[in-house]
Amino acid sequence: MLRVAAKRLFVTPSPAPQQAIRVLPRFYHERVVDHYNNPRNVGSFDKNDPTVGTGLVGAPACGDVMKLQIKVDEKTGKIVDARFKTFGCGSAIASSSVATEWVKGKQMEEVLSIKNTEIAKHLSLPPVKLHCSMLAEDAIKAAVKDYEAKRAKATTANGEETTTGEKAATA
Amino acid sequence: MLKKNSTRCTLFTILRHTTPSVPKHHSPLTFSSHSNNHFLHTSSPPPPFSPKGRSFHNPTWFYSFGYLTFDGKRLCSKSAESVKARSSRCWNCHESTAAAPFLVCDSCRCIQPVDDSIDYFEIFGLEKKYDIEGVNLEGKYKDWQKKLHPDLVHSKSQKERDFSAEQSARVIDAYRTLSKPLSRAIYMMKLDGLEVDEEQTISDPELLAEIMEIREAVEEATESESLKKILSRMEENLKSWSNTFATAFQSRNFEEAKDSIRRMTYYSRVIDEVVKKL
Repeated sequence: MLRVAAKRLFVTPSPAPQQAIRVLPRFYHERVVDHYNNPRNVGSFDKNDPTVGTGLVGAPACGDVMKLQIKVDEKTGKIVDARFKTFGCGSAIASSSVATEWVKGKQMEEVLSIKNTEIAKHLSLPPVKLHCSMLAEDAIKAAVKDYEAKRAKATTANGEETTTGEKAATA
Repeated sequence: MLKKNSTRCTLFTILRHTTPSVPKHHSPLTFSSHSNNHFLHTSSPPPPFSPKGRSFHNPTWFYSFGYLTFDGKRLCSKSAESVKARSSRCWNCHESTAAAPFLVCDSCRCIQPVDDSIDYFEIFGLEKKYDIEGVNLEGKYKDWQKKLHPDLVHSKSQKERDFSAEQSARVIDAYRTLSKPLSRAIYMMKLDGLEVDEEQTISDPELLAEIMEIREAVEEATESESLKKILSRMEENLKSWSNTFATAFQSRNFEEAKDSIRRMTYYSRVIDEVVKKL
């Protein structure tokens, strides 16, 4: 399995600001370490698959990128599978990993209510890493939005096809 | 060159790489905007000043150098005109000076407390602009450390040792911030009140997809040849966006400046990752 997310250096996170400030000893919570060592749902779906929604977000302040993909059952609107690929710190990787776990088996509308604070609490993220959980929340929303947009395009395209079909029949 | 991983940043390690052209006694950095106040330095050290029987409410009134009586009012009006002129007083010998940046007193050589209103550009005697090609930042940095480094103040008072630690650290910060283009850019924006928002997330599909692709390529690369190719490409990108920032900032186009910084951050991250891998 592509251990993309796992290829990160295991170091204590340093704060993003440039000034030298005293860094209090901080440790990754065991859940974060767990997600790092045993990554779940790392990988990709085919972007062009109509049942797949892709959310691609970035945190420019630290140069992170996060891709979260969901596979949706068209009939029920339920998310049946999810994958992620994140380039960033351990907290960002863990946040997206947790996100993929939490969206599985839920309705699309339901996952929109997943809040970054819940993810942060689950991973005991320190204040300086809260923006990582925010990124995960935005990734979920972006994935759902992308899927809906795809579906909307598909239905209008289908609509056009059927009308042209009818026209051809009547002509 | 100052290395991030060095465990001991002594004055010796900093100066070990001194070029022979650095003069032994560095003349204090002064700005050309001081005309009236400049004579303070050229005159010989004044006789010791005893404060008996005088009030300290307006200390600038009492300094006189022979026939040159210092007028406090004139100093204030001068500060209003020139941007960098400040009336600073040494805490030890109470010498007044309008030289900037005032980090060390020239008369008694006492290290002064940190003044946060002196920005990093002023510390190195530079104009506040992005392009600092041809500036010998390292030389100036070492000159400052020759005066401020904690290794020099072992015999001095605790107060001065504390000042030395703070000033020295600030100069190190200034040097590091100004020597790299990205941190310099971010600092300049900060000076104008435009801080980078940590919380902000972006969903620019073009940029993110590009970065994603590059990062994946770095992950999958096995030979150093391909990594070096990516590295040089990234450094090129960084350079070009750095120029874009310079023009954008100059023309006060802050949106574009912010966008340039974003891209520079992403490319710098890739460079860091490639260097780690190599």
